[in-house]
Amino acid sequence: MNKTNTALARLGSTGVLLLTLAGCAGLAPQSSLEQVQQQSAELTGQDSLHWATEQDQPPVVRERIAELLAEPLALESAVEIALMNNPGLQARLFDLGIADAQRVQASRLPNPGFSIGRMTRGSEVEWERGLHLNLGSLIALPLTRRIADGQNAQVQREVSLSVMRLATDTRIAWYRAVAAQQSLAYSEQVLQAADAGAEMAHRMAAVGNYSALQKAREQSFYAEAALSHLQARQEQVASHERLVRLLGLWGEQTNFTLPERLPDVPAEPLDQPDIEQQAMASRLDVQAAQQGAERLATNLKLGKATRFINVLELGISNNSSNEEPVQRGYEITVELPLFDWSGARMAGNEARYMQQLQRTAEVAINARSQVRESYQAYRTAWDVAAHYRDEIVPLRKRISEENMLLYNGMFIGVFELLADAREQISTVNRYLQAQSDFWVAQSELDLVRFGPVTPSEANSASTTPASPAGGH
Amino acid sequence: MVSRRDFFMGAGAITAAVAASSVSRVSLAGLPEPVIQSSPETMAPLEPNTGRPYKPVVTLNGWTLPWRMNNGVKEFHLVAEPVVREMAPGFNAHLWGYNGQSPGPTIEVVEGDRVRIFVTNKLPEHTSIHWHGQRLPNGMDGVAGLNQRAIPAGKTYVYEFEAKRPGTFMYHPHADEMVQMAMGMMGFWVTHPRDAHPNIDEVDRDYCFLLNAYDVEPGSYTPKIMEMLDFNIWTFNSRVFPGIDPLVARKDDKVRIRVGNLTMTNHPIHLHGHEFEVTGTDGGPVPRGARWPEVTTDVAVGQMRQIEFIASDLGDWAFHCHKSHHTMNAMGHDVPTMLGVDHRKVVTQINSLIPDYMVMGERGMADMAEMQMPLPENTIPMMTGDGPFGSVEMGGMFTMLKVRADQPAGDYSDPGWYQQPEGTQAFEWTGPLQEPSRFKSEASTGKPAVEVQVRKPTGHSGH
Repeated sequence: MNKTNTALARLGSTGVLLLTLAGCAGLAPQSSLEQVQQQSAELTGQDSLHWATEQDQPPVVRERIAELLAEPLALESAVEIALMNNPGLQARLFDLGIADAQRVQASRLPNPGFSIGRMTRGSEVEWERGLHLNLGSLIALPLTRRIADGQNAQVQREVSLSVMRLATDTRIAWYRAVAAQQSLAYSEQVLQAADAGAEMAHRMAAVGNYSALQKAREQSFYAEAALSHLQARQEQVASHERLVRLLGLWGEQTNFTLPERLPDVPAEPLDQPDIEQQAMASRLDVQAAQQGAERLATNLKLGKATRFINVLELGISNNSSNEEPVQRGYEITVELPLFDWSGARMAGNEARYMQQLQRTAEVAINARSQVRESYQAYRTAWDVAAHYRDEIVPLRKRISEENMLLYNGMFIGVFELLADAREQISTVNRYLQAQSDFWVAQSELDLVRFGPVTPSEANSASTTPASPAGGH
Repeated sequence: MVSRRDFFMGAGAITAAVAASSVSRVSLAGLPEPVIQSSPETMAPLEPNTGRPYKPVVTLNGWTLPWRMNNGVKEFHLVAEPVVREMAPGFNAHLWGYNGQSPGPTIEVVEGDRVRIFVTNKLPEHTSIHWHGQRLPNGMDGVAGLNQRAIPAGKTYVYEFEAKRPGTFMYHPHADEMVQMAMGMMGFWVTHPRDAHPNIDEVDRDYCFLLNAYDVEPGSYTPKIMEMLDFNIWTFNSRVFPGIDPLVARKDDKVRIRVGNLTMTNHPIHLHGHEFEVTGTDGGPVPRGARWPEVTTDVAVGQMRQIEFIASDLGDWAFHCHKSHHTMNAMGHDVPTMLGVDHRKVVTQINSLIPDYMVMGERGMADMAEMQMPLPENTIPMMTGDGPFGSVEMGGMFTMLKVRADQPAGDYSDPGWYQQPEGTQAFEWTGPLQEPSRFKSEASTGKPAVEVQVRKPTGHSGH
C-alpha cells in the first residue's frame, strides 16, 4: 500500500513537472503578425498590417482608405490600401492563427487515459480501474514543440512572402494602370490626328482636290486609329480593374483617380554586383528550406530517441473486489521491437531528410538564378527605357521638328505632317510601355530578394491578386 | 582664296590656293598659276591686256579666267576641284567646279587664237574636258576613252587647239559625265570675231550664263546626282533668285545675252518689255535673213542661244525661264492641293498636336512668300525675293533687265529699283462699275448646263 502510494506520489510529481512544462505555451497570434510585419516591411515600406478580426472594418481603417482614395492614388498609398484591405491577404493572415494554435496544441501534454472494468466471477464482483499515460509522447514533448515552433515560423515566413507578393503585385498593377491610362490619352491624340486627316481629306474631296481613293485612304487611317483607341480603352479598364481587385475595393471606392503619368525612369540604373549574396541571406524560401531540413533532422533525432519506446505506456491500476482486498499497482507496457525494429520508419525518415536537403539545394540554386535573371531583366528594361528616353524619343522629336520645317517650306503637305504626328505619338507611347516595363522589372527585382518571382509571369501584366496561393 | 583682282595686282600668294592640293608643286612648275575665285559676285569684264583685242563679256555671277601669253599661245589653267557655291545668300551647295567656283570661269579668246589649256584634276576621280561646239583635232575633243585617256586624279593634262570660229561655246567633262555635270562641272566659252563679221554686231553689253539644275534635298548641301528630271533647284550659273544679279543696261544700249543649257530639259527664256532676235546658236551666227523677233526663245538641252536687242525702254524688266516651276526654289512635288479647302476647326485640332502648324495653300501658294516661317537649314523659300512693291514671289531662274537712262557705260552695278514716272503704274479702280451690255435673250437666272461649284473668296461660303 505504502509502496503504491509512493509510486503514485512519484507519478504525480512527474505529472506536475510535465504540466509545468506544457503550461508555458500560450496562444499569441498577434506576435506572429508582428513578425510578419517586420519581415515584410523592408519591401512594403508599410506597417499597416492588421487583423480583420471582426466582420466589419474598423472605422480607422475605413477612414484611412477613404483619405487615401480622395487624392489621385499614389503608388505607396495603393500598397497601403492593399495591405489593409485585400481580403485574400486577410484570409491568408488567419494561417498565422491556425499555425499558432497548432504550435500551442503541440506543446500540450498528451491526455491521460482512464480505464474501468467490472468483472464478476460467481458472486465475486471485481472492479478494475486504471489511469495510464503515453510516456513516449511525453518524453518527445520538447522535440515536438520545437517542430511545431519551426512550423509556425515557416507559416510566418510564407505569410510574409504573401504580403510582399501582394505589395509587389499591387505596385505592378499600379504601374500598368497608370501606363494604360497614359496610353489611352496618347491613343486619343492619334485618333485626333487621324480624325483631322480624315476630315481634311473629306473637305478636299468636297472641293474637288482629292479623289475618292485618296479620301478613302485617309479615312482608313482614322478607322484604324479608332480600333487602336478601343483596344487602349479596354486595356485601361482591365488594368484599372486589376488594381481594384488587389486593393479589395468595391462600390463608390472604385472611382479613384490615378496620377497622370508614371514616375521618370532613374537617370542611372542600380548597380548591384553582390545582389546574389544579399538575396541568399534574405530569401525567405531559402531560409524556409534550410529550416525545413533542420526540422527533419530534429524529427530524425526524435525518431531515433523514441525508436524503442514508441509505445511506452505507464498505467496505474486499482482493482477492487468485494471479496478480496484492493489490489494497487502500476503497469508499464512496452512494445517489443521484435518484428518492427522501426528500421523502415527510420529509413523513411532518413530518406525524407535527404530529400529535403536536395530540395534545399534546389531552392538555393533557383533563388540565385532568379535573382540573376531578375537583375538582368531590370538592367535590360532600364537600358531599353533609357534608350527610348535618350535616343529614340529625341530623334523622333527632331524628325518632327524637321518635318515641320519641311511643311513650312511646302516640301511636304499636311497629311505627311499628320502621319508624322501619329508616328511621334506612337513612339512616345512605346517609350511609355518601356517605362512601365522598367518599373515592373524594378518591382520584381525588389521581390526576388525575398522570394521566388517568375519574370515572365508578372510581365504578362495579368498577375492575379496575391491571394494565398501558398506558392511553394 | 584669291580673287582675280589679286592676280592683276601681281600678288604672289596665288599659289596658296593650290598648296593644299595633292598635286605636286614640281609637276606644276612652268604652268600658269591657276587663278581661284571665291566670290559669287558678277565680276567686271576682263579687259584683254595681252593678245588680240576684243570686247569682253560679263558672266552673270561669274568671272573670266585670266591667261598668259607664251610664245603667241594663250595659256589657261583650269583646276577641277570640289567647291562650295553660294547659290543664294544663306544657301550653299557642295559642288564640283573649276578654280573655286561652279560653273567654272568663262574662257574668252579671239578667233584664230592658239589656245593651250592646262587641266589639273583635283577631283577624287578622273575627269576630262570636252570643248562643246569647237572645231578641233579629234584628240582634243575630250571624250574620255574615245579621244584620250581620262585625266587621273592628281594629274595635269594639256589641251591645245586653235579657236577657229567665233561664237558661243561651253566646256564640260566627258568622263563620268552624269555625276560631274550633276555636281556642277561646266563653264562658258566665248570666241570673239577677229575682224568685223557681217553677221556679228558690236554690242554695248554682252552677258552670258549657263542654265543648270540641281536636286538638293532641303537641309542638305550636296546635289543628288542620280536625279534625272525631278530637280528642285533651277539656276542661272548655279545661282537662284534672289541670288542672281540683274542685267543692267543704259537706255538704247545694244545688249547681247548668251545662254547655254546644260540641264536635262528645255527652257523657254523670256524677256519682258522688249523684243529680241536670236542672233546665234552654238553653230555660229544666224544669218540676218533667218532671224525673227521673239520675246521668248526656247533653249533646248545642250544648246546655246545668243539673243540681241536694243534696251529701249526704261524700267526693271523681268527676265526668266517661262516654265513656272523653274521660277520657284525647292518645293515638294507631292504636296496636296489645298486650294479652297475649308480648314475651320480642323486647324485647332491639328494645332493641339502640332502647335507650330499653320494653314498654307488654302488660298494659294502666295502664303508661302508672306509667312516667312522657319525652314530647314541651308534652304531658301520657294517663292522669295522682294521688289519695291512687295514679294516678287519668284525663285530659281529669274532675274531682271534693268534699263536706266544714266547707267554709265561699263558700269554693271545694280542701279536699284526703277522709279516709275507718275501715272505709269497700274492702279486700283475706284469709280462706278459699268453695267455690261447683255443680249436681250440672255436669262439672268437660267441654270447652267453643268453645275460647277466654285468657292470664291467673296464670303459666299455656304455651299
